[in-house]
Parts: sequence; C-alpha cells; structure tokens
Amino acid sequence: MTQEVNTSTIITNRDAPAQFIRDADTHAHKERFFELLSPVGGRKAAVLGVIGAILFFAVWEIGHYATPEEGRRFLPSVEQVVGRLFFLFTEKEFIYDVLQSCLRIFGSFFAASAVAIPLGIMLGSFGGFKALINPTVSGLRYLPAASFIPLLLVWFGPSETAKMALLFLGVLFFLIAMVLDNTEAVQREYTEAALTMGASRKRIILEVIVPAAMPAIIDSMRTMIAVGWTYLVIAEIVGAKDGIGAVMMRAGRFLNVDTIMAGIFMIGVLGVLTDIMFRILQRVLFPWNVKKKV
Amino acid sequence: MNERTTQPAVAASGIVKQYMNGAFTALHDVALNIQEGEVVAFIGPSGCGKTTMLRLISGLEKPTAGSLETFGDPIVGPGPDRGMIFQAYTSFPWLTTKKNIEYGMKVIGIPKDERERKAQEMLKLVHLDKFADSYPNSLSGGMKQRVAIARTLAQNPCIILMDEPFGALDAQVRWEMQEMMIEVIEREKKTVIVVTHDIEEAIYLADRIVFFTRNPGQVKENIPMEFKKGKRFALKEEMFDQEGYAEMERRLFAMMREEIVATSAA
Repeated sequence: MTQEVNTSTIITNRDAPAQFIRDADTHAHKERFFELLSPVGGRKAAVLGVIGAILFFAVWEIGHYATPEEGRRFLPSVEQVVGRLFFLFTEKEFIYDVLQSCLRIFGSFFAASAVAIPLGIMLGSFGGFKALINPTVSGLRYLPAASFIPLLLVWFGPSETAKMALLFLGVLFFLIAMVLDNTEAVQREYTEAALTMGASRKRIILEVIVPAAMPAIIDSMRTMIAVGWTYLVIAEIVGAKDGIGAVMMRAGRFLNVDTIMAGIFMIGVLGVLTDIMFRILQRVLFPWNVKKKV
Repeated sequence: MNERTTQPAVAASGIVKQYMNGAFTALHDVALNIQEGEVVAFIGPSGCGKTTMLRLISGLEKPTAGSLETFGDPIVGPGPDRGMIFQAYTSFPWLTTKKNIEYGMKVIGIPKDERERKAQEMLKLVHLDKFADSYPNSLSGGMKQRVAIARTLAQNPCIILMDEPFGALDAQVRWEMQEMMIEVIEREKKTVIVVTHDIEEAIYLADRIVFFTRNPGQVKENIPMEFKKGKRFALKEEMFDQEGYAEMERRLFAMMREEIVATSAA
C-alpha cells in the first residue's frame, strides 16, 4: 500500500531563490507557539490555561511587593484579598450579599430572556414583523442603559424594581438583536424542507427554527449574562443597601481596598461559574450539537 | 396502483419568472409537460433557470406569469404531494435518523404506530437500518442525504423534486447514490424531476432530459433517452455498455459547450 515518493524533488525546488527554500523548511519542521490554524485542546489547553492564571496572580503579587511600603494598602496582595474574602464570609455574612446579587441578576436576566427570546425568534422568522419593530429596537440598543438610571429612579424610587429594571433594560435590547441574528442564521433549507413537507408556520417555528437556533441562542445568553454583571454593580453602587456592589461601595468610602478587591474577585468567580453552567447546559440540552472530536 | 386521471404530473405553459421588479428574467415563456412515472432531468449551463423552474414546481417560489399545474390542480404553494430534496443537507441535526424520517409523516398526520412501521421500511430502502438512532452529526454526507430522501419518500409524494441532490458528495458516494436512486425509483414508481449539472448523472437517471438555455431561461430541447429502450439500469456500467450512450453524452457536451461559448461571446 505504501508508495515510495521522492520527497527531495518535491520540497526543494532548485530553481527557487535560497530564502524561499529556507522559509518553506521552517514551515515544515519547526514547532512554533504562535502557529496559524493550530487549535489547541484537551490537556495542553488546560495546562496553558492554568499557566495563564498563575501568570496573572504572579504579576499582581509582584505589583504588591514592588509598591513602596506606605502605598501597599492600595494594592493588597493575593493572600490578603483571599483572606479578606474568607473573613467577609465568616464574619460579615457576605453570603447574604452574594445571594442577593445573584437573585437580582438571575431574576432580571430570566425576565429579559423571557421577552427577548420569543421576540427575537419572531423578528428573525417574519420579515414584515422585523421591518416594523427592528429599527426601533436597534435605536434603543444605542442608548446606554445607565442613561435610564435617573428615569428609573423617578419612576420607581431607589427600590428593588428600579435595580431590576436597569438590569433588564441593559440586557434586553442586545439579547433581542443577538437572538434575531441566531434565528436568521438558521440554514434556509431547513425551513424550505419543512415547507415542502407541508408543515404549518407554527410547526416550523416550534419544531424547526427553535431547535435549530437554540444552541446559538444559549451561547448568546452566556455572552449577555456577563453584561448583566456590569449593570448589577452599577445598580448596586447607585443605591443599594445590600449586594456585592453595595459592600464594595461602602468599603470604598473607608478606603478598604482589600474588601473592594475581594468583591471584584467574587464577581469574577461567579462569572466563571455562570459560564461553566451555560456550557454544561449546552451539552445536556443539545447532545446532537456536540462537536465530534477530531 | 392508485387510479389517476390522465392529467400530466406537471403541466407548465407560458412560465415567466422575473426578479428585482423585472430587471432580471430567470425564465421566459417556458412550457413543460411531465407525465406520471416519468423521470426527467433538467440540465443546462449555470444560470439557465433550471433550479428556478424546480422551485416553481415545488411552490417555494411563484411564477411572475404563466400557468402551472400538477395533476390538473394549480400549484399555489409547497405541499407534501411534491417532496423536495436539496443539495444542502436538510436532515434535521436535532433528530435521530429514525425521527427525521418520521417527521414528514408526523406533519401530514400519520398515526404513530404506522409512522414507526414505515420508518423501519424506509431505513432499509436507503440502507440506513444500522443508523436508526444516530444523529446526523455522526453520519457522512451521503448518509445525511439518504436520510433526507427517506424522509421525503415516507410521505409518499406523487412527485419527487431533487435540486442537485448529490452535488456536494464526492465522486464515489455520488454514483452509489445514483444507483440507489434508480433502485428507489423502480420500487416506488414515482415521478421524479432532478436538476443537475452532471451530464452523466442526467443520462443515467432520466428517461428524458430537458435542456435549458440561459438569458433568458428557456427550454432549448427535450431529449428522450431512446438508447435506453425504456430500461433503467441498476448498475452504471450497464448503461455505458449500451449502444448510443457515448453518442448521447457527446451530444449533450457539445450542446453545453455551444451554450457556454455563445454567452461568453455575447
């Protein structure tokens, strides 16, 4: 089966200028870190990820010790921040603030999704409906959600509703646009095939477009919940008695930098956990969409 | 089996299809008659309107003018009486092979137990019985296409429309699929219209070739495959052995070249 190939005549072209031959050789043999079209997965990716995180904490730690003694309290060390986080949980009932923040973000994100997903799917499915609604929604998307704060405060006062509304608005218009794109990206032939089978519009939306778009929609949600955290902190800084943002804001008044950084750290951890949760959800809900290992 | 009127499976006359408010004419005054049980291939140079004509028959698009009927009834939209197979893989990735095949039957209201029985039969027909519970992402391109064919057949349509169905497959899978298609056609006795740019495929599958010319799209010639003497061949090499095959292929290539030269000169 194996065929002898005279490789020397293929690789080295004697008529080509010397530098081209050298260039071709490096492409063929040398393993480089910055290589095009070489996705990294599995063990190697995990190891690189851990190295990246260690580098981050190392830079932070070096930053702390490189700061002159009198300024160090403004850049606490990694162990101080982690210690502070532990202290907040054991002594300051920080878990209550964390849960409060989670409740706000998941509650409002759920509400925004409940509006944006059906609406986005309808907009992506029906051209006329899109032409009617989308220009307005696109316009609203360009308004920074934070600019709604004064209005929301007038309408709802410094209440829970105002905070939830800010989070809701911050996510809603972007999520609509993303779900609309996800829906329009559904391969046209799926819908056409269903039409030629005689399926009704309702059936096609529920049984073809929704399942086809759903993995991409879950990915959009994963992206948008990160934006949700941004608005959560804004909402809690503006006027809240509890929640991670409120704890950080109070700490800021007393220059408790370690508490502020513990709060940031906590949000980071929660963000990563949410991300992992969405990825697991993706695998559990859509086993048919899991890419085969190459 | 089922008694039909003598109405043709497809009757088209004076078909015009324009796009961009008349700025582009895809089809101009096309007349076409396809009898029940006939296998017809549409061929012609790129942009000759052969796919457009197929989509008009499917009902996915509407003609700008002209009359289009199937068994005497005007075509007003897509329907399960005209099953369509696309070049792109349309087996639904979120359903297993078996559920995919059942889907078309579910849409037209066939009861569950009958669906399952028929799906089993179809799985055998397209040689996929071992993959009943696999999802399309673990199937090859040819297998995905067989799922789509089985799903369409399971609805028992009067007419099967195929838009370059094997165009995305590599050469070997392609002729396997062509031979499988002949097996299916012989067994199911369907009316089939297949759009292709592959001359050999057209000759192998069709009883008659409709050659389209472009700018604007018109039927240039109806070419019956007389050399086959009314037979369809289970194996492709049986066709190559037929007297008249080479002549037919040569003739169609020459027609195609003439079209290409004519438009590049214009």
